[in-house]
Amino acid sequence: MAERSPVGGGGAARFVGASVQRGEDLRLLRGQGRYVDDVRLPGMLHAAFVRSPLAHARVVGVVTEAARRARGVVAVFDGEEIARLARPRASIPGGTDDGGPPVYTLLATDKVRLVGDPVALVVAESRYLAEDACELVEVRYEALPAVVSAEQALDPKSPPIFEDLGGNVIYGPTTKAYGDLAGTFARADLVVQAKISQHRQQNVPMEGRGIVASFDPETGELLVHAATQGVNTTRAALAAQLGLAAEKVRVLAGDIGGSFGLKFGISREEVACAAASRALGRPVRWIEDRGENLTVSGQAREESFEVEAAVTREGEILGMRVQMVVDAGAYPGLAPMVVDSVREMIPGPYRLQALEFSATVAVTNKASYVAYRGPWAAETFVRERMVDLVATELGLDPLEVRLRNVARRGEPPLRMVTGPPLAGITARESLERMAELIDLPEFRRRQAAARREGRYLGVGFATYLEPAPGPRSPDSPPDPGELEHQRMRLEADGTLSVFTAQMPHGQGHETTLAQIAADQFGVDWEQVRVVVGDSSLSPAGFGTGGSRFATMAGGATLHAARELRSKVLEVAAQLLDTGPERLAIVGGLVVGEGAPAGGLQLAELAAAAERGLLPVGTDSRLEAEVTFDGGESGWSGGTHCALVEVDCDTGRVRVERYLVVEDCGEMINPAIVEGQVRGGVAQGLGAVLLERSAYDPDGQYLSGSFMDYLLPTATDVPHIEIEHLETVRLDPDVNFRGVGEGGMIVAPPTLCNAIADALAPLGARITEQHLPPSRLLELIGTIGG
Amino acid sequence: MQKHQEDGRVLAGGQSLIPLLALRLARPALLIDLARIAELARLGEWEGGISIGAMVRQRVAERSPLVRQRAPLLAAALKFIAHPAIRSRGTVGGSLAHADPAAELPAVVVTLEAELVVASSERGERTIPAADFFSGHYTTALLADEILTEIRIPGPGPSTGFSFHEVSRRSGDFAMVGVAAAVAVEEGSISGARLCLTGVADRPVLATAPELGLLGVAPDRGVFEAAGEAIAARLRPPTDLHGSAEYRRQLALVLVARALRSASQRARGDNEDRREGAPA
Repeated sequence: MAERSPVGGGGAARFVGASVQRGEDLRLLRGQGRYVDDVRLPGMLHAAFVRSPLAHARVVGVVTEAARRARGVVAVFDGEEIARLARPRASIPGGTDDGGPPVYTLLATDKVRLVGDPVALVVAESRYLAEDACELVEVRYEALPAVVSAEQALDPKSPPIFEDLGGNVIYGPTTKAYGDLAGTFARADLVVQAKISQHRQQNVPMEGRGIVASFDPETGELLVHAATQGVNTTRAALAAQLGLAAEKVRVLAGDIGGSFGLKFGISREEVACAAASRALGRPVRWIEDRGENLTVSGQAREESFEVEAAVTREGEILGMRVQMVVDAGAYPGLAPMVVDSVREMIPGPYRLQALEFSATVAVTNKASYVAYRGPWAAETFVRERMVDLVATELGLDPLEVRLRNVARRGEPPLRMVTGPPLAGITARESLERMAELIDLPEFRRRQAAARREGRYLGVGFATYLEPAPGPRSPDSPPDPGELEHQRMRLEADGTLSVFTAQMPHGQGHETTLAQIAADQFGVDWEQVRVVVGDSSLSPAGFGTGGSRFATMAGGATLHAARELRSKVLEVAAQLLDTGPERLAIVGGLVVGEGAPAGGLQLAELAAAAERGLLPVGTDSRLEAEVTFDGGESGWSGGTHCALVEVDCDTGRVRVERYLVVEDCGEMINPAIVEGQVRGGVAQGLGAVLLERSAYDPDGQYLSGSFMDYLLPTATDVPHIEIEHLETVRLDPDVNFRGVGEGGMIVAPPTLCNAIADALAPLGARITEQHLPPSRLLELIGTIGG
Repeated sequence: MQKHQEDGRVLAGGQSLIPLLALRLARPALLIDLARIAELARLGEWEGGISIGAMVRQRVAERSPLVRQRAPLLAAALKFIAHPAIRSRGTVGGSLAHADPAAELPAVVVTLEAELVVASSERGERTIPAADFFSGHYTTALLADEILTEIRIPGPGPSTGFSFHEVSRRSGDFAMVGVAAAVAVEEGSISGARLCLTGVADRPVLATAPELGLLGVAPDRGVFEAAGEAIAARLRPPTDLHGSAEYRRQLALVLVARALRSASQRARGDNEDRREGAPA
């Protein structure tokens, strides 16, 4: 920062674009963050859940007497008792909230549908005593055959998980078609077919779910400390499920230890705790432990695809026919919404002319489907793996096939065949730049030489677009629920308060919004206070997710700061008896013609406004309120590349280099952008090499601890080289775009393509995403499988 | 120990027992913490080799010049145990007495023909050869009233090289297969070899030069690969989420050959690094 001189307010960038150190870090790194687990309220009780040991069973009886008598126990609630206190309501789109099938209860009553399904809630003076008492609750089960794969679920003879659903299909089959599919297949020289699948994996935030719910019987108000991605969403869901007026519910959130999509709305366990607090008139706290987090908090990604691609001999991909099947786990959730996104995004930056896409979502006796960083990522995995399979079939280099198909900015088609505009994309530039960075011809020579020594090197590319939030589409105006609202206020001490509905959970919003507001308003970024995590102060808005923050909240902040600046200058002009156009705010001072020699302190101005020193009729509230629709916005995107070596004796993969060429518009804070990219890539590499949520044929969960659900650690993540592209501005003011999900979306196909390239001479055809060492040796035939 | 017998559990660093307690998988009535018994934390010379008190922290042993000099195999294997933070708490004796079938140290002490000294207040001390100490999954020759007090490792023989190779899912994880090897090379041919595998059975699996067909032959890639194949063929390793029995047999085959090769190279004074690379 030292080399940058303050150049004043009014939009001249001073903090935006600089990697200022995050304001959050001092407290977080010193252990002074305040998480839901740190909340202690007087009289607080502790909750623990009795959970099903079986994947699918009838609940024949729940006997709680012994547990109720146990030391320190205040109450025990079985499923029927909780059902009288609160109702289930999926708080995310695609869930059941219309009373239609499937009907189920908050805790299990008639049936359990996955290992870990909550059956009873014990509330005691400590978590230890609550867990001791859980062991005294006797549940009699009548085991049912478990449905543990989508394939089983689609068999009409499979035992129904929800009797009222009439089978185990919860959505579809639906088919949508775009373009002239028959024509493209008729014109094709070749149809390439593959069955491509993603495996089950999951969000593993450092902090699991958690709640401290405190109902005040005197006022009828419920105060909730939550770990959430949006206080308003949590408040709305809680109010609805408990039958309270939203005004009677206040949700507070402190620091959040990660989420990756898990903590939207409110979970069944959390609602049950709030219901218990209301019933008992005392605060009830539940902090998810790691076993619960891994087993029942939610899982994602288990999707399979039958794909046919109509291609020409030159490598042009004309059309695709895709059939998607989702294994959505036990309880209704996000899967239908994900299907819509996968379908819409699957053409990516390519000039695909036609698409037929059908989808079916099945329920199984496994953990429920939740949002996980880039929930629709399968569109990139399937497309980018398919491009490489096409290249292999045609004997072309995968990079060449990509360059042959990728759309050129400003040339037709101006839209994906599914509708979204291809405005402002830089996919071609990112591919070309990547080829330069790795010197592809030189790599191919090195690869050939290594093969002669029995060493297997590979290179893989993948390209993606991240709708963050994506360019404005003339035929689909923004949904009112997706607008970003913001309030900004100049405080009496001269600091700026920014009120946002965003709920940072690791992204550094307190810093990035302050950078934008500071530049626009004309103060130091440290003088900006970003207020989050209190539903009584938050503007409307659903919170943080979908890579919307940079454009939506960044844009709202930019516009709010400009509006407030004008207002402050109007007031200053009144006080100083001059014209606002003669004034500016620079470094926290009002300066210009008519201002005192050293400038007018913002604090003095705010104090004057507060004391009513302004002429009658002046709007003296130094506040601005704006609603932002995203403006013209645009895509994030880019190309990733991995260079790997596979040890064909042990199956181990070494990532020699990992490179990123990405475009997220104007960077607010490059260090934060790169942190997001690196974190996403780490998760993506983890998905391919390490992470799998595994079940046995009876639906027992096998990955319930960190000895079996393997996350990449610092020593498993390679150095990641990142280059940022010059961007194309679509909006005159707001050119910040989200970058939270792209790394995780594109890293899995990048690495799989590199491994497939390395193993190509051994005849391996890779159509799956999970490639641990043992699987690689199976694919090359060293061991059976 | 005498008084509590089966109800008590010995706490010797806590890197395995504490997680078991947290998961409610172990529920001893009493914990007996050995951390403050200074005699158990001694590390010193013993007849040309070394004596390691059972409570010597793994990190202390790993950084000891004496261990590096007198027991280079132990020094090499210690680096594969979890991460530095865990090695700073975990003890050499704790790991041996816990007898995890995928742990590194049992394979090391069996390869090196160590003696394990155990003691009870009633009967005093006795010494158990390492090869007789491990009797199955998490079970050893220790009686209910005994603790492991000391590990005695003989010094390295002349012209002998050592190596430890393992493959785990991530650095720091338990080995899917690990191999400790000691090879002596005199006048261009192998005069002795011992190796021990971990992760492939309920206890460390030992093989010696005659069984491996290595005695008196010149150390070359072919004989090491043949030794690997011979051992792999007789293993019945476990299957789990991380690898099938067949995968573990394949790893055993490859790692035995690699470990013998690098041990023999070191026996001849050649310090070529392991291909897997050094762990964190």
